[in-house]
Amino acid sequence: MAVRAETRQVRAVRRPAPQRRRLAWGPVVKHGVLLCACGVILFPLFWVLLLSIKSLPDAYTNRIWPHHFDFGSYHRALTTIDTLPQNFRNSIIVTLATMLITTTIAVLAGYALVHLPMPGKGLVLAILVTSLFVPSRVTGLISIWEIQDRLGLINSTWGLILPYQTLALAVSVFIMRGVFETIPKELPESARVDGASSFMILRRIMLPLVRNGVIVVLMTNFIAAWGEWLLANTLTNDQDKRTLTVVMASADAGFGQWVWPNIAAMYVVAIVPGLIAFAFVQRWYMRGLQEGALKG
Amino acid sequence: MASRVATVRPPAVHTVRLTTTRFARTWPYVVPALFFFVGWQLWPIFRALWISFTDFSFLLDASPGSAKWVWFDNYVTAFHDPLVREGLMRAAIFTAIFLPGMVFLPMVTAVLVDRVQNRRLASAYRLILLIPAMIPGPLIFVLWIWMYSNGIGPINYFLVNLLHIYDVTNQPTWLGSTDLTFLSIALMEWWWGLGFHTMFYLAGLATIPKELYESARVDGASEWRIFWKITFARLRPILLVLVVLRFGTAFALIDEYILLGGFNRDRPTYTWTVYMWDTAFQVGDQNRGYAAAVGWIGTLGMLAVVLWLFYLFRNRD
Repeated sequence: MAVRAETRQVRAVRRPAPQRRRLAWGPVVKHGVLLCACGVILFPLFWVLLLSIKSLPDAYTNRIWPHHFDFGSYHRALTTIDTLPQNFRNSIIVTLATMLITTTIAVLAGYALVHLPMPGKGLVLAILVTSLFVPSRVTGLISIWEIQDRLGLINSTWGLILPYQTLALAVSVFIMRGVFETIPKELPESARVDGASSFMILRRIMLPLVRNGVIVVLMTNFIAAWGEWLLANTLTNDQDKRTLTVVMASADAGFGQWVWPNIAAMYVVAIVPGLIAFAFVQRWYMRGLQEGALKG
Repeated sequence: MASRVATVRPPAVHTVRLTTTRFARTWPYVVPALFFFVGWQLWPIFRALWISFTDFSFLLDASPGSAKWVWFDNYVTAFHDPLVREGLMRAAIFTAIFLPGMVFLPMVTAVLVDRVQNRRLASAYRLILLIPAMIPGPLIFVLWIWMYSNGIGPINYFLVNLLHIYDVTNQPTWLGSTDLTFLSIALMEWWWGLGFHTMFYLAGLATIPKELYESARVDGASEWRIFWKITFARLRPILLVLVVLRFGTAFALIDEYILLGGFNRDRPTYTWTVYMWDTAFQVGDQNRGYAAAVGWIGTLGMLAVVLWLFYLFRNRD
């Protein structure tokens, strides 16, 4: 104790005077800039949230803080826009399917690419890396349309699930690869010596260890599929077959059933699931990012 | 001799068998991923290459197979098409506006967040900055169409009604006018990507040992010098990766251009990607052969720049 107190004292004495002066304005600038950034980030979201609970006159006179609140827009949006519940269901279906399938196949592939003696590993990795630099979603769209047409899946909500697998597939595999690489090779090796099959090792030993990475991949695919617009807009035509994002993007905002508070309410409903999910998993998500997801 | 051959042969057979069993035991893990990857990502882009050599028009031909093979006709036409040239140019201009902000703003933010000593505050900043990354892109674009709107948009409400810098007649039209459009879209992209890219830099900053800073300070180096020589030097690899990755996304943007700019050919948002989509799915006979050629020209241009960037960055390190 005495020693520690002494060093503290020594440090206090040694600290040169100019540094104290710098400390006086350093944090102000630092926190000032960061608070400004946070304000800029949060403002549009607060604005749209407020818009969704404004009364009609307040919404159309642009007042930021309304005279009268009206919480009925959420109910009105769901009743006056008759396809909305269906669009919501469509979004949930394609998003859940994409999250589950892509995450599963990315975990399997990431595991094999790191911990199994896979022939052709380098080739698979090289093709996946190259795909990150090719705008295949744009250039391949014409042929994706053709494939879906051949399969009879144009204007089909369920059909969207197939092309959606590739939205974040390469990235997901890389994230899982990065996370699997943090696990020492000796761990599966010793289990293999004990006679465990490679799948048993993945399920029993690996999965609990890469949990955070799986969360990151799940979130990544949720974001990719939930808000996907280009494919859904190109491959479906009827409003009741479309996803929430497409309907909202093509809405004639401001008029009729799409009056501003209604459409803002719809918007809040569209972004809240992701934000709630993030609020719940953020701790593991952040850890997953640090664990090597960012290195992938 | 015979005995030597005998000793050599079994291992050879053994390795072949080992490789096949390795294949059988490991490839099932990657086959599901490859099925979707090849089926809906790799095959489509090469199929588009094939289609680009035909005169396939959706409304005239039953399938690409029944269309006429025209070799490089589409490409020759495209090279003389002012819309293709203009479209590539516009995409390049946007990339040039967008890229510096997208790699440097998060770097500055990351350096600042990294210096926040209070743990709770530091993670609060991280979380708030990450919120836009949890909203899908197209929904971000929808929100910002409203932000920039003249009627409902809060930005012009501030400028006109509260600050009185402009009035209704001369207020900026963020998305409509040609000068501001790209800047408006870039601002939106920065808002969206700030937090996520900050995380990349924070991961890089976390690997810099704190002793480096301390010893530099003891040596009397200025903070500015420390930033350049230690922080920036250590973050450079991340910076270069982000430049290459974001170049790839920026040059091939399409959702934001269609959503924020529509299909007006005079607008700067009518880039090669929008032209491709317009030609393939909307205009005239839906000439998908030509559209595929436009797509491939853009893709090849992009790949060329990516390779050039790789070469440039490798050379310097």
